[in-house]
Amino acid sequence: MNDTPIRYRMKYSKTGNLRFIGHLDTQVMFERALRRTRLPLRYTQGFNKRIRLNLASALPLGFISSTEMLDFWLNEPVEEQFILQMLENALPAEIHVLEVNQTDSSLPSLQGSLTSSEYEITLPAYIESELFQQKIERLLAQPDVPVTRRNKTIDYKPLILEYELRNDSSDNSVVYFKLSSTPTGNARPDTILELLGIDPADCVIERTRLNFSTVEN
Amino acid sequence: MTGSKQNLVEKILYHVEKPGRYVGGEHNQIVKDWETVTTKWCLIFPDIYDIGQTNLGLSMLYQILNADDNILAERSFAPWVDMEDELRKNEIALFSLESKRPLSDFDILGFTLPYESIYTNCLNILDLANIPMLSSQRTESDPLVIGGGQACFNPEPIADFFDAFVIGEGEEVILEISAAFRTWKQAKLSRIDLFTALAKIDGVYVPSLYSVNYNPDGTIIDITPNHQGVPEKVTKRIVSVLPSHPTKFLVPNVEIVHDRMSVEIMRGCTRGCRFCHAGMVNRPVRQRNVSDIIPVIQEAVDATGYDEVGLLSLSSSDHTQILDLTRQVYDCFHDQKLAFSLPSLRIESFSLDLMDELKELKPGGGFTLAPEAATERMRAVINKPLDDEDFYNTVTQIFENGWRSLKLYYMIGLPTETMEDVDAILQAGIKVQQIGKRLIGKSVKIHLGIATLIPKPHTPFQWLPVERPEPIQEKLDFLKTGTRKAGIKMSYNVPDSTLLESWLSRGDRRLNRVIFHAWQNGAKFDAWGERDNLQIWRNAFSEADIDPDFYSYRQRDLEEILPWDHIDIGVNKQFLKRDYNWSLQGRTRVDCRETCFMCGILDTFGEDRPSDGFGYWGCP
Repeated sequence: MNDTPIRYRMKYSKTGNLRFIGHLDTQVMFERALRRTRLPLRYTQGFNKRIRLNLASALPLGFISSTEMLDFWLNEPVEEQFILQMLENALPAEIHVLEVNQTDSSLPSLQGSLTSSEYEITLPAYIESELFQQKIERLLAQPDVPVTRRNKTIDYKPLILEYELRNDSSDNSVVYFKLSSTPTGNARPDTILELLGIDPADCVIERTRLNFSTVEN
Repeated sequence: MTGSKQNLVEKILYHVEKPGRYVGGEHNQIVKDWETVTTKWCLIFPDIYDIGQTNLGLSMLYQILNADDNILAERSFAPWVDMEDELRKNEIALFSLESKRPLSDFDILGFTLPYESIYTNCLNILDLANIPMLSSQRTESDPLVIGGGQACFNPEPIADFFDAFVIGEGEEVILEISAAFRTWKQAKLSRIDLFTALAKIDGVYVPSLYSVNYNPDGTIIDITPNHQGVPEKVTKRIVSVLPSHPTKFLVPNVEIVHDRMSVEIMRGCTRGCRFCHAGMVNRPVRQRNVSDIIPVIQEAVDATGYDEVGLLSLSSSDHTQILDLTRQVYDCFHDQKLAFSLPSLRIESFSLDLMDELKELKPGGGFTLAPEAATERMRAVINKPLDDEDFYNTVTQIFENGWRSLKLYYMIGLPTETMEDVDAILQAGIKVQQIGKRLIGKSVKIHLGIATLIPKPHTPFQWLPVERPEPIQEKLDFLKTGTRKAGIKMSYNVPDSTLLESWLSRGDRRLNRVIFHAWQNGAKFDAWGERDNLQIWRNAFSEADIDPDFYSYRQRDLEEILPWDHIDIGVNKQFLKRDYNWSLQGRTRVDCRETCFMCGILDTFGEDRPSDGFGYWGCP
């Protein structure tokens, strides 16, 4: 076995019914898919050996995404296009592998360097863009926007980095958000929708971009 | 499903626990073009996805049906209560996972019935699918509703809800049912024509073609066909040689119970434990050759990515190549980081060599043994003879080989049982614990699993009553106190669920009314034991004006016609009677690979027995 494992970074989309598969289950799905590829996988050491695998960020249940990322390690180098093809074959149809690139082993983890996430939310037809505009302006006009989760209250106001209403060609309005995603300040778009009195279950929430302090993507 | 319904489903999925249960889309799922096949099955496991998805029988039938170009098979499961509420509130009919079509769109609904406490869920599923619940209410435009599985060797308690049952093994008969259905549909005949055609297929039981007459005391006068050309008895179906094993298992996207793949290494058992339903109804023994098993494991691992494999059988250590199997499994797979489990090891056929192999296959796991009874006398009654010395030697070896936790299964409520027999269980637990402490130290963990006997149909105990809850509770309390004092863990079946299972497994056709009332009054998920359903069931019995004790506490006469007597498992009643009498005399039988006791299997199926040495069943 090669003692310096090689790090690969995969970019993928997750759509359709798979949005109802949560973060931990998604992780297991990738472990099994990687096993199906029969690539020379690197395992963690210790009593319970697991595939060395690192997802950038938990995608909340119900969200689709065009831009998820994960790192995994192989014991020996394999051609990137070959890995991409093997993974594409091994994964359920609603996960689409976009890119696989060998990555510098010394870079910090994806999780540790994530700074912000971008989303596009398709609003239900009954929320017209003017109404949404009023709602969000009223919310952000307040001195702070406290949100309590797991007995901890944080101010969402500074975490909403950007937003923009984009008129979709269809009847539904689309709103763009760029939200902070750091360990100390992580904002969720569905929480913002709830603050605005909109049921997230009525919206299509798509993560469109992850921004890292160290990665060009 | 129409677009708006589809959107509604997606919306409700946000509000239910674990929505991944309801969306399908797993790796290896098979989705066929609805328009190009002639016969559409929906295979239904009437418990939640988490319990049913890895059921091996379901996986086998899914593969066999979908391998036929004229057939598609999709899946559906019982929705959990939160999803059921949403479906009812939004008037969405229960749908299949693959195409999300309502169950009423399918030609045939095939229910897997592995245990009796699942019956109310079947009714609930039909209701959620807007399909009439009683066979007699359904018409040519409704799906054909079929049941099969271990529970329906006594199909009578649910005979009114099902159009037909598969008695025995389904691998071949499902294709014959499909063909008969296709012919019937093309000919545009009535339902009775379909029923009589199905009744001609070996192993298919159509309950509406039989009438039951009762004596004033509630016992049965006779069960007879009410149509020409319908057999008086339905003989179970078997495959004489195990067919090729499925490997492209669906890989669940959400965490479920028994989240591993299973490979069946042997079917049937030659031991003849008198309490054991599976041991009687699954005869004869058919083994899979090691040279077939190894490639199956490899193909299935490649197809699924699972890292855990269960090698299934009723008695693993009785497989004639078990040592070779464990060695080859180790040689072929130890560098693939796979964990193996090999349940159901018999103490007396268990060798030191095998223990060595097992240690390699699943390091760190616990060990399980099932002596079932703790005194020599009681072991003779149940025909599971075991030398105390052998038992303690095996236990010693288990600890010497480094296992630190041992689970022991015992039964109470056995015929002729005294408190002495019950105390012996506790004493055995304590002695095993002492051996463990001596060899391993204080960290040793002993776990007693206590089951209560339910005398099951088609076993030598079928005439016996179930022991009443008061003495059962007394015995459980005695064991609970004793194990707590000794620091031994104990788990057990609550007397309520034992009683319910006894009614559902030992009942006759009058139970259909009871089950219907129980469902109406809210009984479902009876297997979960979390809901206090017994009072619902007692009320259902009084609504149906039936005495439940008739089914549970009555010693049945040896000459009585039992509700399941027209279902022929290949083992004859004469054999069961003799074995029952031997039990009362404390007389044991050896493993029937040594001596044939003429149970009837060879009379029934002997012609199909393969002639090669390995596949020659267990029968001498």
